[in-house]
Amino acid sequence: MFTESWLSVGPSLDDCIKCNICSSYCPVAAVTDLFPGPKYVGPQAQRFRENGQPHSPDHSVDYCSGCRVCNEVCPTGVKIAELNARARAQIVADQGISLRNRLLGRNELLGKVGSIAPSLANFGLHNPVSRVLADKVMGIAKEAPLPHWSRNGTFGSWIKRTGDQRLRSDRKVVYYHGCATMYYEPFIGKAAVAVLEHNGFEVIVPPQNCCGLPMLSNGEFKAARNYHEGNIQKLTGYAREGLAIVGTSTSCTLTLKEEAPELLDMHSEEANTLKMAVWDIFEWLRELYQAGELRSDFHRIDMVLPYHAPCQYRAHRVGKPAMEILMLIPGIDLRESHARCCGIAGTYGYKVEKYQIGMDVGEELFGFVREQGDAVEMTACDSETCRWQLEHGTGLPSRHPIEILAAAYGLYDLEARALVGS
Amino acid sequence: MIDLLVIGEGLSGLMAAYHAARAGLSVRVIGKGLGALHWDAGTIDLLGYLPGAHDSLRCPMKQLGLLDPAHPYHLLGEATLAAALAQFVALTAELGLPYSPAVVAGENSLLSSPLGAARPVFLAPAAQQGGDLGSSAPMVVVGFKGLRDFYPALIAENLNKLGYPARAAFLPYQLLSGRRDANTVHLAHELDAPARRAKLAAALKKLLEPGERIGLPAILGIDDHPAALVHLEQIVQAPIFEIPTLPPSVPGIRLVKSLRQHLLQLGVRVEAGMEAIGFETNGGNNIQWVETETSARPLKHRAKSYLLATGGILGGGFDSDHTGRVWEVVFDLPLTIPQQRSHWFRPQFLEATGQPVFRGGVPVNRRFQPVRPSGEPVYANLWAAGGTLAGADPIRERSLTGIAVATGFAAAQQIATSHALT
Repeated sequence: MFTESWLSVGPSLDDCIKCNICSSYCPVAAVTDLFPGPKYVGPQAQRFRENGQPHSPDHSVDYCSGCRVCNEVCPTGVKIAELNARARAQIVADQGISLRNRLLGRNELLGKVGSIAPSLANFGLHNPVSRVLADKVMGIAKEAPLPHWSRNGTFGSWIKRTGDQRLRSDRKVVYYHGCATMYYEPFIGKAAVAVLEHNGFEVIVPPQNCCGLPMLSNGEFKAARNYHEGNIQKLTGYAREGLAIVGTSTSCTLTLKEEAPELLDMHSEEANTLKMAVWDIFEWLRELYQAGELRSDFHRIDMVLPYHAPCQYRAHRVGKPAMEILMLIPGIDLRESHARCCGIAGTYGYKVEKYQIGMDVGEELFGFVREQGDAVEMTACDSETCRWQLEHGTGLPSRHPIEILAAAYGLYDLEARALVGS
Repeated sequence: MIDLLVIGEGLSGLMAAYHAARAGLSVRVIGKGLGALHWDAGTIDLLGYLPGAHDSLRCPMKQLGLLDPAHPYHLLGEATLAAALAQFVALTAELGLPYSPAVVAGENSLLSSPLGAARPVFLAPAAQQGGDLGSSAPMVVVGFKGLRDFYPALIAENLNKLGYPARAAFLPYQLLSGRRDANTVHLAHELDAPARRAKLAAALKKLLEPGERIGLPAILGIDDHPAALVHLEQIVQAPIFEIPTLPPSVPGIRLVKSLRQHLLQLGVRVEAGMEAIGFETNGGNNIQWVETETSARPLKHRAKSYLLATGGILGGGFDSDHTGRVWEVVFDLPLTIPQQRSHWFRPQFLEATGQPVFRGGVPVNRRFQPVRPSGEPVYANLWAAGGTLAGADPIRERSLTGIAVATGFAAAQQIATSHALT
């Protein structure tokens, strides 16, 4: 069947000139024989997946981490990462999906369940016995940096509780927090709200659901479609009013903008209206800055700060706006990472057969952080799973740039990860 | 707002960015993907053949007068061309990746191509100079069983046919890598490790016959390349040189990597994955911004001046349709390429005078500003350099990298002068 998305993604394989740039820069192919490289599993294997040939020639495409470095470096615009994601979905459709991958795709459900009794859930997940069990039975690597449920309530409960303290203003912005902020790191959302309000914006936090990315990357396209439809329903109204929808999770915003519509073939007027209203929070703050409207009442923060723009952030193709804003803060000696990927790639590095690949990929980044010397107390990175991997690989705490910015405004304590005065 | 936005990150774009930054301009480089240097032999080919001539040129600088008046070298003039080449030699020495004329300054030398043909080269990186075919020392061309992109027997046979003494020899692939399969970039990374080099050197020493020099595929390290070459020669006690491979091409990648690192030190950001898709003028002939494609809305890049360095048909600077219409992809500039398919080619495939479709391009004036047929600059703040320029047939002439280095320099000079005047 020639669906619309087949037309947008599939034929791009004909633009492949076999230059091998993608294979040379692919961080996964650089460390393992199990992944023969983007050119092979992407445009080349795609020739065997066309109509009437639904099966992928082999399973090596499962070792693509989806980091999209191949798309970034391709000189002719082949949509390699999308070809791979579709091929994975085809394998899942043909052969079903493991319980593990089904679970890893259900970030939101896990978040909700664990948040009922977070201490119990944290103990249940993080004690050595259950990690070994999860490793042996489920295939979730026992060393992998899984998150902890927030013990101080969810972001949703905080926003409800503090509703009467929120700024009211004619200038409004919608905040998409995503699952990680909701259930694991509500302080990221608090920092974002504080920064937006400090700049005079009323923050609207509407009901929303998971962006569906974990399912997309585990090949569960059908379930991901439900999620995207849910978000279209819940959020497009704000987009129609002309409000910007900003997010602190780079992979969520990328999914709302591009991944979900493209991979799921959802190009309705509503989906497009939503796409065009979504911003990564720093992409949006940079617009504010360029218009001369970003407040610059920064406190000095003296520190050496290695910053890694995650691959899902670079996949937005908007440059590195978080870095541009952080560089405005006096005292910060920002060191830019040019590492390709931290290795975690969403849920990739959690899987027992891929954990070590993820760590080997991440070594480029961990090594970069080590090279910055002993003065480094923390790193910065926009994506939650990448931060957890960075902490795992370097032993240093990692912060979202929005936490750093909130701290520079004097609103946030970087050590306690809490709003000042709360 | 920055002074100069360079569109295209091939050799001409990077060189222009370098010279403009050195002249004090603030510069940013964007590109759709990585540039064509990734599949280039990594030599500077000034001019290998005159149109219609069968034999290669010995003294290209003295033959420039025989080129078409519209050729970029004519627009440059001999003094600017010489200055550009001298600056390139000085720059690469500073980068630790020194280029120089092979034997006699001002003359082309002949080096083996990946197929064993004699290719005329004006400036070569240190590792390729030992392969000068003007020297009578016999060569042993060493390959590795299972390495896909290098064929010593073919090279030796073709060199013999041309009268150059050469023989082929093979070593086990396992000397290079424990991997089952790896491309030349991965292998070059392996040879960054001294222990790996020592093993290789010991094996080379065994197969060497007295008086021979050793030709190896161009994989002798990437980050530690200069040391790798010295290290090998010290152990083997014989001259060693590199022969370029099929893509990906390590010598080209080394040059890109070191140029990019140097640009970063000069404060120039080079960003891949940013495809220019549109622009806006002030209503007159001044470009106000260039837009690149992102995951949602286009991103605006504002600069005082713009340099088009997107390459020709090979680099992706031009596109065409089935009727034969050819257009320049960013600004839709006037082109000298025939706009009818039947006029693209002459009857002979290997026509000595080349094919009209490859000689065409963007016509510029002596200031390297794209012009209309009337001679008027199309935009007051737009310049062009490299493979996009009209009047040359760079593949046929073997002048692609020479034109890139020289016109990148000249365009940057012109831009700097125009900024000094305003």
